[in-house]
Amino acid sequence: MAFFGLDRVSRFFNLIKENGGFRQSLYKLYRQNDLKSGTLVGTDKLGNKYYENNEYFLGRNRWVIYSPSLGTDFDGSAVSPAWFGWLHYKTDIPPTQKEHVQYSYIDTTPSPNPTGTNKAYIPYTTGKPKIQAWVPPTRS
Amino acid sequence: MLQAGSAVRGLCKAIRPSAPIVKAADKAMAAHALPATLVLSRSQSNKPVVADNRVEVFVDDIPVMVEPGTTVLQAAAMAGVEIPRFCYHERLSVAGNCRMCLVEVEKAAKPVAACAMPVMKGWRIKTNSEMTRKAREGVMEFLLINHPLDCPICDQGGECDLQDQSMAFGSDRTRFLDPKRAVEDKNLGPLVKTIMTRCIHCTRCVRFASEVAGVEDLGTTGRGNSMEIGTYVEKMLLSELSGNVIDLCPVGALTSKPYSFSARPWELRRTDSIDVFDALGSNITVNHRTGEVLRILPKTNEDINEEWLADKARFACDGLKRQRLVAPMVKDSKGDLRPCEWEDALIVAATALQEANGSVAAVAGGQADAEALTALRDLVYRLGGQHVCTEEVFPDNGSGTDLRSNYLLNSSIAGMEEADLVVFIGTNPRYVVLVLPCMSPTPGAWCWCCLVCHQPQHLGDSSATVEQLCAGTHAFSSKLAAAKRPMIIVGQALLGQSQGGVLYAKICQLANKLRGSVEPSWRVLNVLHRVASQVAALDLGYKAGVAAVRQQKPKVLFLLGADEGAITRSDLPADTTVIYQGSHGDAGAAMADIVLPGATYTEKTATYVNTEGRAQTTLAAITPPGYAREDWKIIRAISEVLLCVFNVVAHEEPMNVMLQSVGAARVDGSAVLRPALLQLEDYYMTDVVSRASPTMAKCIAAVKKEKSNRYHSK
Repeated sequence: MAFFGLDRVSRFFNLIKENGGFRQSLYKLYRQNDLKSGTLVGTDKLGNKYYENNEYFLGRNRWVIYSPSLGTDFDGSAVSPAWFGWLHYKTDIPPTQKEHVQYSYIDTTPSPNPTGTNKAYIPYTTGKPKIQAWVPPTRS
Repeated sequence: MLQAGSAVRGLCKAIRPSAPIVKAADKAMAAHALPATLVLSRSQSNKPVVADNRVEVFVDDIPVMVEPGTTVLQAAAMAGVEIPRFCYHERLSVAGNCRMCLVEVEKAAKPVAACAMPVMKGWRIKTNSEMTRKAREGVMEFLLINHPLDCPICDQGGECDLQDQSMAFGSDRTRFLDPKRAVEDKNLGPLVKTIMTRCIHCTRCVRFASEVAGVEDLGTTGRGNSMEIGTYVEKMLLSELSGNVIDLCPVGALTSKPYSFSARPWELRRTDSIDVFDALGSNITVNHRTGEVLRILPKTNEDINEEWLADKARFACDGLKRQRLVAPMVKDSKGDLRPCEWEDALIVAATALQEANGSVAAVAGGQADAEALTALRDLVYRLGGQHVCTEEVFPDNGSGTDLRSNYLLNSSIAGMEEADLVVFIGTNPRYVVLVLPCMSPTPGAWCWCCLVCHQPQHLGDSSATVEQLCAGTHAFSSKLAAAKRPMIIVGQALLGQSQGGVLYAKICQLANKLRGSVEPSWRVLNVLHRVASQVAALDLGYKAGVAAVRQQKPKVLFLLGADEGAITRSDLPADTTVIYQGSHGDAGAAMADIVLPGATYTEKTATYVNTEGRAQTTLAAITPPGYAREDWKIIRAISEVLLCVFNVVAHEEPMNVMLQSVGAARVDGSAVLRPALLQLEDYYMTDVVSRASPTMAKCIAAVKKEKSNRYHSK
């Protein structure tokens, strides 16, 4: 089978199956631009699922599927601090095996990235404006 | 005011004979202005020698034929060898006190000062010998005894002659380890900053002040180590050309106060442009960095401003950053101007123009460029309007502005050098077109000029004097008739009069009469305009003066940078819509219903025509601020909204109307001819840019304060 490359066909159908059928696979392709199969390592409070498959090379072997509650509006700031270290290869021990150390001074509930919202950081100049505009006289 | 150069102190100074060497030098320079001369002299050996009195000298073994009286320095320049110098300057008299130009001449016992030594036949000048090198190193060592080592904080750093020449010609060490002397700084006013410890006593500033600017304020006191340049008593440098001493100073002793510590020369970008503060059209270089004009320097143009620049043109550039119109504005229901989008403003303006149904007029101000003037004229005519006017008045009787020579400085600015008699009528050239008085006449002409201008005569203050002159009954008339190349320069105080037309026509007749006795190519009659846009506007068919607009009472009035109050709200019906397009918020924007932000001369590539009819182009140095745009683009955009996009049509050739006879016209002799700008403080603020400039405000305050100085000479 492998000699003729026909194992790829079965692998393709397995991938579709693991991802919940054609419909779900298409949605995942749309949402994540990728279809992967792996073992579920754990789930965080927000509902993000963390997977691992060491058949993929390093850097692609651990990934997160964001919680469906985030829809398509997700970014890296949704990864919880407990899972951050495992996902970024700081440690190989996921928080499901060893309790994540909590410090009182670290906020455990991550806040979403405010880019594109009213709370986004906008740098402003502290210098005088180069051009001083004319202010028309008002009657009132 | 009618005068034969009484206010032209500069002119008198400029024509005063300086050291004889200068005159000789001028001749020599004129002689080898043509590069062909040099080529001829080099290949002279195999050609028949033309009989001339030139002498042959050798500069570093290069043979050069020069006029007798040429200095060593000029002969070296002809051979392409530059000799270092500090005190020598082409347009000033020779001082010979810096000694930097010492060179070896074969068989001479000592090195000679090249700037002051005329060459002799067969001299072998060695500019690269051991003796010359040692002399230069020695002089540089002496110059640096007292020169502070503050180049890192000196504004001249990077454009300093002393810095450059000490690197090129100086020694790498000094034998003088004594403490350096310090000199107290002088207060020369709000424009020129002095750090007198840096002064190397080249006296260029002293010579410029007395020879070109015509003020004897600067001088030297003390001698030897205690020599100082200054005003002796504490007083301001009261000249409208004072900024030029900054350019002349070879070290950082005189620097620009408004520009101090703001930029280094290598950070600046330079754009060549044209000055629009007066009608002279001086050539300038706009120095800018990060979209900001930092300073303006003169650019050499031998026919216009030589290498000088007036203070307003040089220092009013900070007005380009203040009181700017940065967004279009339209009046709201309360009658207040509110900023809006371009689209809204263009639609409101176009609607108003459309609904005016042809009752449209335009008034152009003093800094409008020819492109915008053309576009505006075409727009108004296309809409059915009749009147496109300028704020500046010019008489329209006789052939009026149909003949171009009626409103130009016909003899040209450079041609003033050849005049032997100049009569200024209704103008004060010192403040109207400043650099004009610096034009020094050629050595041949000054003798006559001195007779009149060296002791300038004030002929009178009223129009009666003009009549007497024209009739030939004035005491001065005989001199005028005897002049070989007389110039009559007419200014705004006469042209703007109610009887300006009649007076002008009489002067035209006088000029015509005088032309009978002078050479045919010489033009007697000259008009000196005040503003940069006037000649271009008249060329493009604009009417001078706003009288027609007052009569018409248009429904829509388009002001193109018209801020001098020639037409006000009270001249217009209440329902007139005023559209103002310009760069600064001033009188025009304050009376407008719709404000369209335009560009200043540093922000657009545009054509200006100077008072002698020379068309020159400014180059955009920076972009207009905010939503401001180039002027002709705004007018074209309006025309696009109006769906009447016009092609640029060449204006018709002006009609060739002969000078009408005005012999019968009567003149009321009591009219006073007094130029608007008589005092130095009147000079600094004359237009929107200079009125917005803080530096110009400081100048006015300083000049007024100077009047209470007990050393102030009246």
